[in-house]
Amino acid sequence: MKKTINIPIGSQHIALLEPVRFKFECENEKIVGVGSDVGFVHRGIEKACTTKFKFDGIGYVVARVCGLCAITHSMTYTASIEKLIGGEITQKAKYLRILLLELDRVHSHMLCLSHTCENAGFEAMFMRIMGDREDIMEIQELITGNRVQFDYISIGGVNRDIDAAQAKNILAKLELLKHKVLGYIDEFTNNWSLSLKFKGIGVLTLDDAYRFNTIGPLARASGLQADVRNEIDYLPYDEVGFNMQTHSDGDINARNLVRLSELLNSIEMCNNILEGLPEGEIFTKLKGKPKGDTVVRFEAPRGELMYYVKGNGSAMLDRVRIKTPTFSSIPAFSHVFMGADYADAPAILASFDPCLSCTAK
Amino acid sequence: MKKIEVSIESVREKIKEFYDYKKWHFLTLNGVALEDDMLEIQWIFSEYAVKNEIVVYYAHVNCDEVIPSVVDIIPSAIISQREIVDMFGVNIEGSEKGLYLDEDSQQRPLRGCSI
Amino acid sequence: MLTSFFKAFTNLFKKPQTIDYPVTSIEKDKEYRGLIEYGESECIYCLKCEKACPPGAILFVPVENPPKNEKNKKGLKYHYNPHLCIYCSECVRACPKPEEALWQSNKKPPIGIKDDKVNDGWFELEKLKKV
Repeated sequence: MKKTINIPIGSQHIALLEPVRFKFECENEKIVGVGSDVGFVHRGIEKACTTKFKFDGIGYVVARVCGLCAITHSMTYTASIEKLIGGEITQKAKYLRILLLELDRVHSHMLCLSHTCENAGFEAMFMRIMGDREDIMEIQELITGNRVQFDYISIGGVNRDIDAAQAKNILAKLELLKHKVLGYIDEFTNNWSLSLKFKGIGVLTLDDAYRFNTIGPLARASGLQADVRNEIDYLPYDEVGFNMQTHSDGDINARNLVRLSELLNSIEMCNNILEGLPEGEIFTKLKGKPKGDTVVRFEAPRGELMYYVKGNGSAMLDRVRIKTPTFSSIPAFSHVFMGADYADAPAILASFDPCLSCTAK
Repeated sequence: MKKIEVSIESVREKIKEFYDYKKWHFLTLNGVALEDDMLEIQWIFSEYAVKNEIVVYYAHVNCDEVIPSVVDIIPSAIISQREIVDMFGVNIEGSEKGLYLDEDSQQRPLRGCSI
Repeated sequence: MLTSFFKAFTNLFKKPQTIDYPVTSIEKDKEYRGLIEYGESECIYCLKCEKACPPGAILFVPVENPPKNEKNKKGLKYHYNPHLCIYCSECVRACPKPEEALWQSNKKPPIGIKDDKVNDGWFELEKLKKV
C-alpha cells in the first residue's frame, strides 16, 4: 500500500502572489518529495527580442519582464550592449544608475518582508511596511516620472537628471525611512511571531548553498559570500560604500535579517551617492551596431541576473538569453522543502521571495 | 569572458575535471541557433569573489544529436536543461519537455532550422 | 502590554494613511511622464520619432488632405496611439526640435472605449503604412 499522499500548493493559493505549483509528496506532515511547475506565465520575451524589436528598443521590452526588478533588467541589457559597441558612459550616469538600482532593491525587499509578515499572520506589520514602502515609490516617481515602469536607463546613460532641490527632498525621506527600518529590525528580532517562530524553519546549509549554486539573499543567509556587486566593475560599487551582508543560520529568520541589513546598506549607499554626485553630462551618444557576444551579470533584489547577448552587426540581435534569479534557484527551493512540515511550506516559499513573471518570461 | 571549445562527447569529463563547487558558480546552460541546422550549447561559469571572471564551455551539435546531462555533477543544472529542451527541441539525457510548453508540443520557438 | 494598549487606543484617533481619493484629489507630479504632444506647424517631417518609438505608437500615414506645411512633401499626417505608448520619451529625445514639435506633458491618457475604435482604427492605419 502506498504510504505517501500528494498535496499540491498552487497554482492558485492564498499565500502566493504569482502562479507557481509545487507538488509535495507528504508522509504524514513531512514533505518527502517535491516537484515543481513554473511555466504558467510564459510570454516568449526572448523570441520577441530577436524577431520584433531593434536592439535600441529592447531595453524597454526587457523592462517589462518583471515589475519589481524592471530597472535591473534594463540595466543589464544596456550594459551588455554598451560592452558590445565599446562605448564608455560618464561617471555621473554610473552613479545615477546605482542610485536607482539600490532604491529598487529597497522597495523590493520591503515588499518581501511585508509578505513574510503576512504569512506569519501578522497583518498589522504587513500594512505598516507596505505603507512605508510608499515613500520609496514616491522617491522613484520623483526621479524617473513613474512609479513602476521607470524607463530610466537608455543606451549611453540615463534619461533624467536630478537637481539640488530633489536631492534634498530625497535625502530627507531616506533619513525618515532609515529610522523606520531600524524599527523593523527591532520587531524582526524581538517579536515572537516574526523571530522565534521562524528560527530553524527552512534551513539551507552552507554546503548545500554551494552545491545548488544559490544566489542572492538566500545564499547570503547561509553564509555564502556571493554577491554580484562584489564581482563586477562596470559600476563603481566600491566607491559608494557597498558592504556584503551575510548571516550563518540559513533559516527564514536569517533571510529576513539579511534583507533588513541590506536595506540599511542600500539606504547608506543612496545617501553617499546623493551627497557626492559628480558633475557632468548624464548622456553620451553611442554609435555603432552590436557585434559579437557577451555575458553580463548584475545583482537584482533576488539575486544574480544574467544576460547573454549575441549580435551580428545589424539592428536585429541573434540571441538574447535572460537568466533570472528565481529561475536558477528553483532546484535549491525544492531541496529546502525536503524534510520540512507541509504547514510551513507557504512561509518558506514567501521567504524565498519568488518572482514568477521573471522565471517564465 | 573566456570561451573554451569542447566536443560534445568529451564535455562531461571536461566539466567534471574543471568544476570545483566551492570555487566556481554555475550560471546557466545556454543555446544559440547557428546556420545549417547547427546549435551551440554553452555551459557558463563564474568564479566567486573575483571580478569579471566568466568561463564558457561550448560545443557545436547537430539538431538531432543527444546531449549528455551534467545534473550529477551540477544539481542545479536541471532547470536550465529543461528550458533548453523546450526552447530548442533538442534531446538532453534525462530531461523531459513541459517546463513552458505542453508535454506533447511540437514547437521549438528559438531554433532557426525547420521541423 | 500597557504600552501596546496605549498605542492601540491612540491609533483610534489617527488619520488614515491612505488618501480619501474621490473627495481629495491626488496631486500629480509636474515631472510625471504622461502623454506625448505634437505641434503640427513646427514639425519638419523627418520621421525620426516614428523610427525611435519602441512599441510603434507614432505613425505618419499618407492622407488625402494633408496638413498644410511646406516641409510636408509626401502628404503625411501624424497619428499617435496613447494606449500603445509606453511614455519612455524616446521620440522626444530623437526629435530635432523638442519642445516645439514634440514634447511630453504630464496628462493622463484617455480611457479607451469601443466607439473610439482604439484597436481596429489603429490596425487600419498600420495596414496603410505597410502598403
